[in-house]
Amino acid sequence: MAKIIGGVGTSHVPSIGAALDKGISDNPDWKPFFDGYIPGKEWMAEKKPDIAVVIFNDHGNTFFLDRVPTFAVGVADHYDPVDEGYGRRSIPSFEGATDLSWHFVDKLVENHFDPLVCREIEVDHGLQVPMELFFGRPENWPVKVLPIWVNTIQYPIPTPQRCWEMGKVLREAIESFPGDERVVIMGTGGLSHQLQGSRAGFINREADEDWLNNIANNYEKFRNMSREDYVEQFGSEGAELIMWLVMRAAMDDKVDLKMKHYHAPASMTGAGMVVLENL
Amino acid sequence: MSDAQIPETPLFDRKGSIDGYRINKMAMALGDPANREAFKADEEAFLDRYKLTPEQKDAVMSRDWNRMVAMGGNLFFILKIAAVDPTPITAIGAAQAGLDHADFLKQRLGKE
Ligand SMILES: [Fe+2]
Repeated sequence: MAKIIGGVGTSHVPSIGAALDKGISDNPDWKPFFDGYIPGKEWMAEKKPDIAVVIFNDHGNTFFLDRVPTFAVGVADHYDPVDEGYGRRSIPSFEGATDLSWHFVDKLVENHFDPLVCREIEVDHGLQVPMELFFGRPENWPVKVLPIWVNTIQYPIPTPQRCWEMGKVLREAIESFPGDERVVIMGTGGLSHQLQGSRAGFINREADEDWLNNIANNYEKFRNMSREDYVEQFGSEGAELIMWLVMRAAMDDKVDLKMKHYHAPASMTGAGMVVLENL
Repeated sequence: MSDAQIPETPLFDRKGSIDGYRINKMAMALGDPANREAFKADEEAFLDRYKLTPEQKDAVMSRDWNRMVAMGGNLFFILKIAAVDPTPITAIGAAQAGLDHADFLKQRLGKE
């Protein structure tokens, strides 16, 4: 059976990718942010996963409002980066972990989830940026990917509790997958930010620190919060943090918090990461 | 969860999705380089292709981000209009907060 080698929670702010493209990741604005990810990159290089499951949301780049899947799973053999309005970024295409994807889809439906299953689709910064933060800019990505899209754009968005349940199915799927692949799970999005309304620019550093400190071993309160609670505490777009719950639920009840990092603001967002390992 | 219950925080719910459909569809199209060229060449004609109302056209052409959002424009779509300009996202934030850009950076984001 495949093995979960760790769980990562991370921001996926698009300006992180833009900073890498422009070669300004060493300027004083960005350096503290990127420096905090160096240990994460080293951890990933040492752990050598074969597959990365990436839970993220599309930001009006791949899905339009004509059809809005609450949950979607990629089963494609590859995923190209999508043009978000600035031209297609020159990063390599992502190879799909097709067999695990289909197996996950089977398990989801057996467990009464009804995902959209995507055979041909592009990916936006929600997947690209976490990959760059943890794998750098290789000529080819050292892992295959299993993308999971969560709708966090158009209400109703799924509840945090539903995200949690999906994480349980993800774990079951990985652990029942016939193979010896090493799998890392990346829950992405957040931290606090708000891009719309007169509260635009809202950042809640205290709530962000609390999240990073407690998502490992004191997560019950986050699991029990409503969508409204997420929006209120983390901002309308900071509610993306519900996607970290998919990752967290797939890990053991008790985990080792290997590292965490926080920096604010990255563009208009509280940004950071945690790395978790099962004990 | 549809009506905004959190102060100063509009959620993109059915009303926004219905009201803003044309603006958002037009903006989504700017993910295609050929459409970006058409938009730059004749913005009004491009907006007409997507049947924007006169009010919507006026908001887009005057880059009134606040009104675009009020009329159902979702930030993730209208960012593609900003990408053509280009307008920084913090300027869009400032417009919605009702602050000038420098004040917004300082007061909301803690930047000097
Ligand atoms: Fe996002």
